[in-house]
Amino acid sequence: MIIFTLRRLNLLLFTVLLLTLLSFSLSYLFPGDALINLSGEINATPAQLAILSDEYRHQENIFMQYWAYLSHVFSGDLGISMASHLPIIEEIKILLPATIELSLAALLLAMFVGVPIGFIAAIKHEKLADNIILTVAMFGYSIPVFWLGLLAILVFSIQLGWLPSAGQISLLYEIKHVTGFQIIDILLSDSAYKWQAFQNATAHMILPTVVVALAPATIFVRLARTAMLEVLDKSYIRAAKAKGLSFGQIIYHHAIRNAMVKVIRDVGLQFANLVTIAMVTEVIFSWPGIGRWLIESIYQRDYTAIQSGLLMLSSFIFLVHIITDFIYAALNPLARESNHGA
Amino acid sequence: MNLLDIRNLSIELKTANGTILAVDRVSLSMKEGEVRGLVGESGSGKSLLAQAIVGVLDERWTVHADRFHWRGEDLLRHSAEERKRIISKDVAMIFQEPMSCLDPTTTIGSQLEEAIDNNQFSGNFWQKRKQRKLAAAKLLHKVGIKHHEVCVKSYPHQLTEALCQRVMIAMALARRPILLIADEPTAAMEATNQGQIFRLLASLNQLKNMSILLISHDLENVTHWTNTITVMYSGQFVEGGTTRQIFTQPYHPYTQALLDSSPKANMQLPKKSRLAALPGSIPILQHLPIGCRLGPRCPRAQQACVHAPKVKNHHGHLVSCHFSLKGGN
Ligand SMILES: Nc1ncnc2c1ncn2[C@@H]1O[C@H](COP(=O)(O)OP(=O)(O)O)[C@@H](O)[C@H]1O
Ligand SMILES: [Mg+2]
Repeated sequence: MIIFTLRRLNLLLFTVLLLTLLSFSLSYLFPGDALINLSGEINATPAQLAILSDEYRHQENIFMQYWAYLSHVFSGDLGISMASHLPIIEEIKILLPATIELSLAALLLAMFVGVPIGFIAAIKHEKLADNIILTVAMFGYSIPVFWLGLLAILVFSIQLGWLPSAGQISLLYEIKHVTGFQIIDILLSDSAYKWQAFQNATAHMILPTVVVALAPATIFVRLARTAMLEVLDKSYIRAAKAKGLSFGQIIYHHAIRNAMVKVIRDVGLQFANLVTIAMVTEVIFSWPGIGRWLIESIYQRDYTAIQSGLLMLSSFIFLVHIITDFIYAALNPLARESNHGA
Repeated sequence: MNLLDIRNLSIELKTANGTILAVDRVSLSMKEGEVRGLVGESGSGKSLLAQAIVGVLDERWTVHADRFHWRGEDLLRHSAEERKRIISKDVAMIFQEPMSCLDPTTTIGSQLEEAIDNNQFSGNFWQKRKQRKLAAAKLLHKVGIKHHEVCVKSYPHQLTEALCQRVMIAMALARRPILLIADEPTAAMEATNQGQIFRLLASLNQLKNMSILLISHDLENVTHWTNTITVMYSGQFVEGGTTRQIFTQPYHPYTQALLDSSPKANMQLPKKSRLAALPGSIPILQHLPIGCRLGPRCPRAQQACVHAPKVKNHHGHLVSCHFSLKGGN
């Protein structure tokens, strides 16, 4: 297990280095001056520019420049936004948690709905239930998010008026910013309207979460179905049958766990996909997350923001990937062994 | 009275191109306390037959039989589920490749414990739990695993193939079976381990009067441990009788070839010369010959072999061949 952990940490370090390298090279690839792209100081006077050039070691060779950039990044300085002139790290601190909240909620929803349905489909293999589930999953997968989001707003917010259509919480509630995660902050706050605020925030979350979760859920249905079918064909299932265990016992004690192991391994990959969907959804639902901010930055040609935002978002995705790897290892004794843990 | 009496059991595989008769009217009977060998090349349908008996084939396969009696009870009168319930109460099976028959994500201990019948225990939940652990440890001792504390906490991949096989046997014993079906219990094992497993099975047979159906692709390997032997080829019955009859005077050309191809029968041969064996290999299910399936490979085959031969009985020595080695027919 120690070796497994070290390997994952190693991988994390390496990937973060690669990501910073990519984001550093973007400052050269974007139009304009690399130094200004990195720092975001578009209105700097020549004197300020000289100081910046010194800070980012822009007179030296490219390796020293990269090194200087790295030390800036790791000391928490991502430059300032070209559009708002605020430090980017401060904006990200506010925006990223909102995205994390939305995407994790959607991931959990997609898994809790998709995986059991996939298992049921596998157990009812080639029966009516299986066919219905597969058809619905295929249909759900092919709906464009954009259209689904607008449709959801049209039906549930405008026509039925059940759920709010925009934002994270009603402006009435003032929640102190502690962790950045809305739900946690609400629970931490000592406001008298805590529960109303909580309900309001939850109501705001429902529509975007469902919209984000739909396509990944259908993928989980198919992943879980394939995994379960594979497991049910294994010798140990047949052996368990011969032991005299009932079908339910076999499913609960052996099949689900082994199928879960296979599903978890793919969650990390699916998560990148899910975050992409979440970015589009944030725009539709005016969700104050990093995805919407990034897309706005692209419109505004805010290169500093694009570059730093991408760095943060991809680091987050990768972190989730690593975490799912740990869950995978916890479920699968084979992966924990040093000689198997590649 | 026969413990198990099966007549003309056939197993069909449903495929896109129609059904395939994988096992063709094989009969098999077992007496109480008997050790019977079921022998044939790989692909002869031995495992299929065994799985059909314990009822764990999936729905792609259909099983027919003219007679299926278990301890005098006609099991064909019951539904498949009922049949499986009756069988799994008294018959245990250990499958080929023991390692793959253990759930890789669950410890040996809990897999062993769940095989133990709940009715043996009394008391409240905690007492039962304790008794269950104790019973698991006892079972491991029975199959010759001394360090049961280590073993119960291990995962299957941490054990050797031979240890996994012992665990499988322990699991099979948990139900106190009357008949144990052991499918290639010593395949891919070193000679010392093979001997230990066979001795373990033999002692279970003697001490508990447990009948054993010992499946193997190696005729010579099992003759030492069996009372009677049934030989199969490509899903068909070939020859059956006491080990002595089969070993000293085989009537069927196939059995003769099996014996000739064993290293021991060829002791006198010079080193590195080819072993005597039938030409060709066992047919795949999609291309089964008609009639006697050995036909294309058989040295004694003649035109009559396109019709499946009837089983002939020579004083309890059964053979299914038109031109058997028994002189004068
Ligand atoms: N699950 C399966 N699907 C298709 N064919 C199978 C399957 N299992 C076994 N067979 C075929 O059935 C025949 C008999 O197999 P098996 O009973 O495993 O032979 P044995 O145990 O004697 O080596 C072989 O030709 C094999 O290819
Ligand atoms: Mg076999």
